[in-house]
Amino acid sequence: MEIETPLEKEKFCRQMRKALITLARSPRTEETVTSSFASFIHGVRPEHLSAIVRHRSKRMILDSIGVGLVGSTTRVFNIALQYCQELYSSNPISSVYGRKGLKLSPTLAAFANGVAAHSMDFDDTWHPATHPSGAVLPALLSASQMLPSVSKPNGLDFLVAFNVGIEVQGRLMHFSNEAHNIPKRFHPPSVVGTMGSAAATAKLLSLNESQCAHALAIAASLAGAPMANAATQVKPLHIGNAACLGFQAALLAARGMEASPFILDDIPGCAGFNAFYGDYQPKPLALPANNHKLLLEKQDIAFKRFPAHLGMHWIVDAALSVRNLFVNYSHSFSPSLIHAIVLRIPVSKYINRPFPESEHQARHSFQFNACTALLDGEVGISSYTDSSIHRRELMELLAKVVVEHPEDNVANFDKMYGEVALILENGDVLTGRCDTFYGHWRKPLSRESLLKKFRTNASYVFPENQVNTIITTVENMENLPDSSQLASSL
Amino acid sequence: MWSKTITGNFAGMIHGLNASQLTDQVLRRSKRMILDTLGVGLLGSSTEVCHKVIHYSKIYSTNTSSTVWGHSDVRLPPLYAAFANGVAVHSMDFDDTWHPATHPSGTVLPSLVALSDTLSEKKKISGLDLLLAFNVGIEVQGRLLRFSSEAHNIPKRFHPPSVVGTMGSAAAVAKLLAFDQFKCKEALAIAASYAGAPMANAATQTKPLHIGNAARHGLEAACLASLGLQGNNQILDMESGLGAFYGDYTPQVLPPLQSYSWLLDQQDVAIKRFPAHLGTHWVADAASSVRKHLVGSDDPLPVSKIKKITLKVPEAQYVNRSFPNSEHEARHSFQFAACTALLDGSISVQSFNRQNIFRPELKELLCKTQMEHPSDNKPSFESLYCEVSITLQDGDMFSERCDTFYGHWRKPLSKEDLEKKFRSNASSVLSLEATEGIIETVNHLEEVEDCMVLSEFLKGTQSTQELPQTISLS
Repeated sequence: MEIETPLEKEKFCRQMRKALITLARSPRTEETVTSSFASFIHGVRPEHLSAIVRHRSKRMILDSIGVGLVGSTTRVFNIALQYCQELYSSNPISSVYGRKGLKLSPTLAAFANGVAAHSMDFDDTWHPATHPSGAVLPALLSASQMLPSVSKPNGLDFLVAFNVGIEVQGRLMHFSNEAHNIPKRFHPPSVVGTMGSAAATAKLLSLNESQCAHALAIAASLAGAPMANAATQVKPLHIGNAACLGFQAALLAARGMEASPFILDDIPGCAGFNAFYGDYQPKPLALPANNHKLLLEKQDIAFKRFPAHLGMHWIVDAALSVRNLFVNYSHSFSPSLIHAIVLRIPVSKYINRPFPESEHQARHSFQFNACTALLDGEVGISSYTDSSIHRRELMELLAKVVVEHPEDNVANFDKMYGEVALILENGDVLTGRCDTFYGHWRKPLSRESLLKKFRTNASYVFPENQVNTIITTVENMENLPDSSQLASSL
Repeated sequence: MWSKTITGNFAGMIHGLNASQLTDQVLRRSKRMILDTLGVGLLGSSTEVCHKVIHYSKIYSTNTSSTVWGHSDVRLPPLYAAFANGVAVHSMDFDDTWHPATHPSGTVLPSLVALSDTLSEKKKISGLDLLLAFNVGIEVQGRLLRFSSEAHNIPKRFHPPSVVGTMGSAAAVAKLLAFDQFKCKEALAIAASYAGAPMANAATQTKPLHIGNAARHGLEAACLASLGLQGNNQILDMESGLGAFYGDYTPQVLPPLQSYSWLLDQQDVAIKRFPAHLGTHWVADAASSVRKHLVGSDDPLPVSKIKKITLKVPEAQYVNRSFPNSEHEARHSFQFAACTALLDGSISVQSFNRQNIFRPELKELLCKTQMEHPSDNKPSFESLYCEVSITLQDGDMFSERCDTFYGHWRKPLSKEDLEKKFRSNASSVLSLEATEGIIETVNHLEEVEDCMVLSEFLKGTQSTQELPQTISLS
């Protein structure tokens, strides 16, 4: 734009200034992606939740609580809890999973419970890949206990806020093609989970639209943990931090903290949320009123049947099916008859571990999970104890494993498959394959199976009647007058 | 102790360095950094962003507590004291800058001071302990920045203090708490999972939180490590580790401990003379010089006689703002800096007041300002320059260029000017005694037996003067 004379320049300046003021004063006419997210968070109402979404989100809530409860018995959780207690003793109003009588300040309770949720890699997984519920639910539970009794959100408010947190995560992941595959750089819950937590708590705390936008932007400055810490004891903290820090972002926004109004938009030369992605194409959200369909309606969640990385579930189902063949063939499971075990898996460095040394590594090892399934005929919580990991029979089997990466096996939770081939000493080959494991969104767990998982988990810390109470509460969430009751029952 | 991995190598360095290896130059430079950082933190403690953060942090009050600089009435747990003080340090973009680019001290000093506050009952922290830990924190940052050539230029993706600052804070705390090598490694690994904030929040009110968060998260990572939490002990080696924050990442081993050469020895920091992005300091010096062609230093600038102002600066999107709308934007605007320096002769803390940001004479000048990005002007604090040219209505043209501003590492502030800056900052919240007390303490830090004395001064427990409020909170 050529501006030659001072008069033209002055005119241009006035127009620019006017445009800027207009932009600043009328958020409703803004086209930015960031403001459309803020509008959505602020504007969505219970009536926008379809029946399917309600149903699915309650299943997620139940499962998340269950894995959090069993997770509260882990070592990593104990470290996190000890840390919180040593450093903070005041304002204890939020409950901690499985610790009756213990309360922490809200964001710390969110931290601890988030750690619990992911401590055993037992929590839900979505497509594109992330663990959505663990980053959101703990923050909401804590927040619900924080509000004064006159303005306690009811069960429906809680469900709306939960879905806001899930939806924001899903929408953000759709902005990048990278996000569709198993991650390599940043652990997705630490990126989108933090944003989801900020969005959900902003919703529950009824922040105004501008505050919602700032909450997202502040959260972006707290997002992002590298993949290298996956398969270590720190990984659960990614979810704990996502819950805690997203919550903090909302609290800061509530107190007037301001940040970039373009955090989700693509501004060349100065990275916002796109700092976490190689490719990033953001789009504004439709407002709820205009037939906005929540992603959870189109794309369900996968629930895990045993506490390990999602990829393991394919290989385990494949291993179990070939094990059946083998047992029929030789009338018992005799490892000595096996010459080699071939695993056909997608390429993904952090879940390819021939000899895992810790429980965290074991949960992220195709080899370990395949061999455990072959040996034991099942995989469960106890498969990852120290003694199980270091069993001689297991080590012998692991030594026979060979890994192949067929080109058509993409590192993507919607497309991958698992194949286990047993090459016997006598030359025969038995093969088992799994395209869709039970629990995947294409083959969801039945209500019975989901409840069974929950009961097993929750009974690690609660007696039966309390377990049943929680189930009833969650299944009838919409009718709950005071959602903080859920938190206090945990 | 030799280690197979770079991560282990770093842990060995953090663990193994001792006070006898601090050279005179490093001691001198780091004390200057400490003094300057305390000063800007004290000044910053009265900003709006800091008020919000303190208000927020009060959720976390407890018995174990540390000082919030300049606030005798508030005690916070060390984590939140580190957070609040870190925010204060960067609240006005007045803190030190290094090459490769980051703000090193603000992410390290608050965590160390907060921790020393709480440890004092059980264990005395000497000035030398603090100095050593401080330098470990600085050194780690410098080493990490050298693992990526991206880091040499003004950043585009992640705000460097949020990446390396978090790591530096964790390292410094690990040193102060005398962690063994394994725990040092774990502290680094855990810290990486907290690192990284995008550049878009620079030039907003949230930017100071990047430093506050780096300080507290590094401290948190170290605390978790001391409780036995374990992460990936090759965190610095892997592309999916710290490499996640960079497009190119080539980690290298550190020099052996026996004859350790500190980066601070080879490369000093820049100390700012006014609270704005470092790039604006070149602009201000060039603009002040060219102003002299037009008027005497006490005379008003004949704004209407000016037809056009041209700034030749490097390309740096987030410091390119024609009409800043807030103090945060004003601190990140080449144009604002040039026009303010032309109008007033120099830039000061007061230049970023609401009244000054929106004065009509300034706007008039801003309208006449254009930017050019010569291809030889690289966006690196080591090599950038600024040329300010003024074309008058009658056709006359004047130009001045600044290659190295006063305060840059090539032309460091004198001891007198550094202390003058500190006094001006500290006296906004502390008494004369406390102000002088800190100068005295830091100047002789290696001889101080117990760092508690520093915290006592920082609190402002002595009676504070009522000073006119020269910093308006917008």
